[in-house]
Amino acid sequence: MPAYRNVRLCTKDCMCLYVCPTGATNTENSIIDVTKCTPGCMACVDACPSAAISMVPLDYPPQQSKAKVVIAAQRALALSKVKQRKIASDVAAGAEKPVTRQFAEAIAMSNRRMSEDILRESGYMLPQSDEVRKLLETMKDNKASDFPSEALELLLNKLQSTRK
Amino acid sequence: MKRYKCTICGYAYDESVGIPEKGIAPGTKWQDIPEDFVCPLCNASKSAFKLIDDEVQPLDVVADADSAEHVENLKELTYGEISAICSNLAIGCEKQRLTDEMNAFYKIADYFQAKVAGEMGKTLDDTAKMLDDDLGVKYPAAFDAAKADADRGALRSIVWSEKVSLMTKSLLERFAKEGEAMLANSKIYVCDICGFIYIGDTPPEVCPVCKVPSFKMLAVERR
Repeated sequence: MPAYRNVRLCTKDCMCLYVCPTGATNTENSIIDVTKCTPGCMACVDACPSAAISMVPLDYPPQQSKAKVVIAAQRALALSKVKQRKIASDVAAGAEKPVTRQFAEAIAMSNRRMSEDILRESGYMLPQSDEVRKLLETMKDNKASDFPSEALELLLNKLQSTRK
Repeated sequence: MKRYKCTICGYAYDESVGIPEKGIAPGTKWQDIPEDFVCPLCNASKSAFKLIDDEVQPLDVVADADSAEHVENLKELTYGEISAICSNLAIGCEKQRLTDEMNAFYKIADYFQAKVAGEMGKTLDDTAKMLDDDLGVKYPAAFDAAKADADRGALRSIVWSEKVSLMTKSLLERFAKEGEAMLANSKIYVCDICGFIYIGDTPPEVCPVCKVPSFKMLAVERR
């Protein structure tokens, strides 16, 4: 687990600079250098008076299994939000008056967040999970010229499976 | 004297206390409060309040959800669903400081979002009707399923988005009645975490639904 500094909480007491045995905290942009950071060391985490540093896990637990009825019910809700998002964003795009456009955009944004959250809780929480890998694998056959296949390839190569 | 609770943020109106600073004297009955009353915390409309019933009814849920055979085989994910899954995974990668992976998920999300079929000629009135169906049918079903399976994550997402949906429904009802005048002099904020829509000058300190601090309540620009 390497360390990560939360810029919002940091009050520039610079104790991390003082205690770090490898100089990983000594960077121009204040982002802790993961290539120098000793995983599990914790010296900066314990020293920071603002509790601004935490450890980012390298391994994540597997996705919890979901009951099929739960997935079906979540999916039904999510699909409704997905459609409402589309209607609202089309209304916004075609709106003549700024106030209507603004209101429709807010509804589209809101439905986007809701659909994302509902689907996250239908078995797609962790990028490293088997469920996500399965979904990504289904896209391998997509030969459309505008499909971002380099993005898919990156994900299939870089995301480590949570399966032990 | 009775008490009424805002179903969006949990604020309680107590008839014996009133809200003197808003000109509502102690002892004012709920039915005597004007219909354009809004929740002092989250601006939800009066219809979003429910009587606080001190005798809580225990929920009787049958825990055989997994064996239920009426669940049809899950249909394939639609483009819109895949897009939402991927944009949410992008956020997950951001939290894990995986910047390349975040960007890759966003690219795939954008690709699928652009392929979502248009809902020809539909208006915000149609989204209001869909919200009625969500609130009347889909939420109770989803709640029962998640409750029976003790699925905390699913329950959380249901509780949050049901409240957001209630608020949006009441805003759409006001918009249908009052038109653009309703928004003329106020700003619109959307919670970047749960999607709660707040109409007013400054957002509350924490989101009334998911309780995230207000810096996550994003102002929607008027262009």
